[in-house]
Amino acid sequence: MTSGSQATPAATVPDHPAHEDLVDEKIILCYYVAALTFLTVSMLAGLLVALQLVHWNVLRGIELLSPGRWRMIHTNAIAYGFLANAFLGTLHWVVPRLTFHKVLSKPLSWFIFVTWQVIVGLTALGIILGPTFQDQPWLLELAKQWRLPMNLGAQGLEWGETPFWIDPVALLGLLLVAVNFMVPIGKSKGPMYVTLWYFMAAFVWTFLTYAMGNLLPEYVVAGTSAGAIGGLFIHDLVGLFVTPLGWGLMYYFVPILLKRPIWSHGLSLVGFWGLAFFYPLQGIHHFLYTPIPMFLQYGAVISTIAVELVVATVVINFFGTLGKKGSEFFTNLPIRYFYTGMVFYFITCFQCALQVTLTFQKLIHFTDWVVGHAHLVMFGVFSLWLFGIMTYLFPRLLGRPWYSRTLCEYHYWLSSVSLFVMFLDLTLAGVFQGWYWASLQPWDASTDGSQPFWITRVFAGLGMFAGLLCFLANLWMTWRGAEAAERSSGRVAAATA
Amino acid sequence: MTEFTKPTPAMASARTANEPLPEAGRSAGTPHLGMTSRQAWVTMALAVLILIPSMYGFVGKFVEFVHIYRGASGGEFAIAPILNYLLASAGFFCMLLWAAWNGMFRDVERPKVEFLENERLLDRDVRT
Ligand code: HEM
Repeated sequence: MTSGSQATPAATVPDHPAHEDLVDEKIILCYYVAALTFLTVSMLAGLLVALQLVHWNVLRGIELLSPGRWRMIHTNAIAYGFLANAFLGTLHWVVPRLTFHKVLSKPLSWFIFVTWQVIVGLTALGIILGPTFQDQPWLLELAKQWRLPMNLGAQGLEWGETPFWIDPVALLGLLLVAVNFMVPIGKSKGPMYVTLWYFMAAFVWTFLTYAMGNLLPEYVVAGTSAGAIGGLFIHDLVGLFVTPLGWGLMYYFVPILLKRPIWSHGLSLVGFWGLAFFYPLQGIHHFLYTPIPMFLQYGAVISTIAVELVVATVVINFFGTLGKKGSEFFTNLPIRYFYTGMVFYFITCFQCALQVTLTFQKLIHFTDWVVGHAHLVMFGVFSLWLFGIMTYLFPRLLGRPWYSRTLCEYHYWLSSVSLFVMFLDLTLAGVFQGWYWASLQPWDASTDGSQPFWITRVFAGLGMFAGLLCFLANLWMTWRGAEAAERSSGRVAAATA
Repeated sequence: MTEFTKPTPAMASARTANEPLPEAGRSAGTPHLGMTSRQAWVTMALAVLILIPSMYGFVGKFVEFVHIYRGASGGEFAIAPILNYLLASAGFFCMLLWAAWNGMFRDVERPKVEFLENERLLDRDVRT
């Protein structure tokens, strides 16, 4: 592998660090490869579950590969395998460059990398094997003897399915991540750029959110109370782990690619502190109409509306930054990914404003509307941002332009259009399902009526997967050093043109 | 481990002649490191828009807390999420005070320009 920056001389300005002294490019590549591997697994799992819902389960009869387990593989591989790995890799680029300090320790970084892959791998194993093994009498006996929770496999917590015996290791991993990155941030002097505010908060929040969501309902609280904590957990995972890292990265990459600073740094700080004070309040909006007391439900509704305003600050700021450089949206692929993600983010938050009302909840709760919303935010926003970042960074990490700009374009169009089709499809499915249920028809009527939507979802999923295959093929050819496909025809393969 | 210092504005300005200035503060009416009055107005307006509902939410949470102690039906288990929130917010409030005390918000637009200058320095070395 040739590194784009390794071939360069040391820094020429006194006291000013050189990129290659700060950034460990190899670990970034490893994180990205791991992230893309888990993304492939997760998408295949999503396709399997989607096929099951149209009565075409290709793995029918294989207990270990039953759809219930695949669904958990799908969501966990996305959150902890794809998003976490891609974020960690990118942090290794951004934090040292922003602070001018290396991460605390290179061996620690590699230790975290290996440990994290083991954690995600063991989670998958626990989810697949656990439910089968935990029926064994010897295991039941052992669990009784040691007073251990019985669920050797998936923990019965939404998004916290990581088996309980992995939780302490995962927490240790998150703590080490925080230490490794907080040290360089702590060393930097003077007023901090907004990205670092977001990162600092994310390191602390992610650790606390994971501990709260996985430990409290398992060992401390039970019943509806545990449900309320579960609501906070699933919401905070998106809002306090993925969102601050995502926005922090946008505040870093967008100005660099547009070659102009963010429109208003002051406004970005208003957005950050707004998120800090409002987000933790909202989780219970996932459980409107449940036995949780109404005053808590109303509190969550109000704070959700406050967060809509926070979102407005961020969106105004980024569109203000784009300003007259709108043409970059068409010519600069990473910028296109970023701004498409921002538009999707705005749609997601607009949806939230509707969803959070009790009137709306009556119709859409438990329907596919929510699944559409989840895909819009996880894929349409954060995954598109990460694809944009990878599209920008891979050529720099590998020291050569993309093999094919056309494949880059296919990746973008297949991913964003298919995702949008999936989102519209599931949103509509949700409304239909809600009305089926409200009309008190038999359950089967709603699942039969959902078939056209679920079939459409399979095709949309295939489109997203095809986009990923284009990206992987392009990456493979670029890595191998193949001559850029379009060079002979005079087209530029650089995706950041 | 080699320790590095952040470049001072003087170092940052050691750009080569053919490198363009970032667009920071170059548009008409934009002071180099400050905000335009439009930016200041939008920032203030949004700050107020956010602060008012936030205070409402905050006070609301305290009212709920009082309700619990007065024995509102089913109130006890609300303690966990409310305490959770209050603790997190207290932490952030301390951090906000600390940041203000340490001058983090003094020249609030400066970091956005400095960061781009630093990036330019890192990339200039890479490309030469
Ligand atoms: C090949 C493309 C994909 C297909 C076919 C697909 C399909 C599915 C299916 C069938 C479910 C279960 C829905 C249910 O329980 O009724 C699901 C859930 C979910 N998927 Fe995907 N998926 C795909 C890609 C992705 C990607 C790339 C992400 C994130 C980046 C993602 C995030 C999620 C999330 C968060 C859920 C949980 C939704 C909830 O519980 O409300 N999916 N997906």
